Amino acid sequence: MVQIIKKNIFIIVQKVDGIIKGIADFNAYMKAIVRSFRSLRYLKIRSLYTIAVNQTRFTGIDALPLVSWIALLLGATVIIQATTNFPKYGIESFIGNLLVIIIARELGPLVTALIVVARSGSAIAAEIATQTQNREILSLELMGIDTRMYIILPRIVASFAAIFTLIIIFDVIAFFGGYLIALTSVYIPMGTFTQTLLDAFTFNDLLVTITKSIIYGVLIPLICCYYGLKPKSSFEIPIFVSKAVIRTLLIIFIINAVISVLFYF
Amino acid sequence: MECEEIKQLIEVKNVTIEGGKQNLRNVSFNVCLGEDVVFFGAEDSGIDYICPLLAHALEDYSGEVLYKEQHIKHMDFVEVHNFRKIFGYVQRGYALISNMTVYENIALPLRYHTDLSEKEIHELVDSLIVYLHLSHCRDLRPIMLTQSEMLRTAFARAIALDPDMLLIEHPLEGQCLWNAQIFLQALQNRAFAPNKTVIVVTYQPLVYIDIATRFIMLHEGSIVFDGTKEEFQTFQNEYVKQFVDVLPYGPMTLR
Repeated sequence: MVQIIKKNIFIIVQKVDGIIKGIADFNAYMKAIVRSFRSLRYLKIRSLYTIAVNQTRFTGIDALPLVSWIALLLGATVIIQATTNFPKYGIESFIGNLLVIIIARELGPLVTALIVVARSGSAIAAEIATQTQNREILSLELMGIDTRMYIILPRIVASFAAIFTLIIIFDVIAFFGGYLIALTSVYIPMGTFTQTLLDAFTFNDLLVTITKSIIYGVLIPLICCYYGLKPKSSFEIPIFVSKAVIRTLLIIFIINAVISVLFYF
Repeated sequence: MECEEIKQLIEVKNVTIEGGKQNLRNVSFNVCLGEDVVFFGAEDSGIDYICPLLAHALEDYSGEVLYKEQHIKHMDFVEVHNFRKIFGYVQRGYALISNMTVYENIALPLRYHTDLSEKEIHELVDSLIVYLHLSHCRDLRPIMLTQSEMLRTAFARAIALDPDMLLIEHPLEGQCLWNAQIFLQALQNRAFAPNKTVIVVTYQPLVYIDIATRFIMLHEGSIVFDGTKEEFQTFQNEYVKQFVDVLPYGPMTLR
């Protein structure tokens, strides 16, 4: 019995030690990025242009069909549930508020971030891990190219632009596409629906959307690049790509909750 | 070997690296501006440390490495950034950027380090592409290239900024020597150009007999031969003789 307890304590201590070391390592990575800002004066925007454009296209434009379908289906589900159930409780006048709360404040940013992590975050981690293994990252460094600025900066810019745009598109499709689907089961006049939404929307909601776009746009490439630079052999690439996705998702859920508490509690 | 003071490019003093599969033990040498040096030796001789050491890609060593009398170990972040602009580096395996075409790979250092216009870059890159017979694969990515095309692309990228010093690691590994002729000719032109230094690390020193002016052999982390091309060609050094003639018996033991 004592041995089992000792073993469990040892495992817990090891886990905690691993977390502390991980945080320290990420902290060192962040410091290195901050130090790299000194090389900004040498940075030529044109050398980052292709990476930023490709990343924006992949993260934003290529993800558009998936985001649209998910927005449409989620929007329809929420609207159908709200329009069929709210009248039973006599709270149909709150439909607009519910839609803004669920879709604009929470689902839009969160689901968009999840899609971006699943598609682009994993791709970023895998691409950088493979480039590290092929010594391409070393090759950039030996050319005098600051890899942190060259690899991470354009991806952050691209991710922010893509996530912000995707959230807006998600919300619009979820509201109006969902409305159109919902029309097949319940009738709500378009004018009433739009007015309800506009009445429910506040400046705070827009601020939250922008805040989440910035935080997700920075964090997703930052964490995925961190794990992409980690593998020491090709054997480790899938391990770190998996870690990149899982940990980014976890952090996004935590941040989503923190932002909601800060803005609305 | 001694250079005129003004022409001293690289000076390595008592460098020791320990801990890996290879070691360097108290290695000292200097390289003058315009000198073309071939480092050779067996797999575990320590030659693979030479280029990273000179390029400030290694930090865990004792001793001194000076570039034009400046300690490269003590360079700060910005100094390292500027230092790396003044040499070209062809890595083992070439390490071309896999999501860029041949053209983009060669243009990369020019786009990053120079203020040249896109038109000027285009002209410069195109001239390198023609010079190294890469026109047919200008818009291909590395995955579509042959070994010799990859080598030539890496070489073109390394000389795009016209650096004073060129560091090349095992360029002919996995190469067909017949296809590598264009590269070898370009390397010779580079080596013969005034005030241009070429440093090659290789297992095949004889291939560079018409290019290099000096040969340095390492064995178990120490320099066992450092001489001119003429001295190398006499094969009087027993280490050189055993390595070049691939003899099983001699001062070196096969592992």
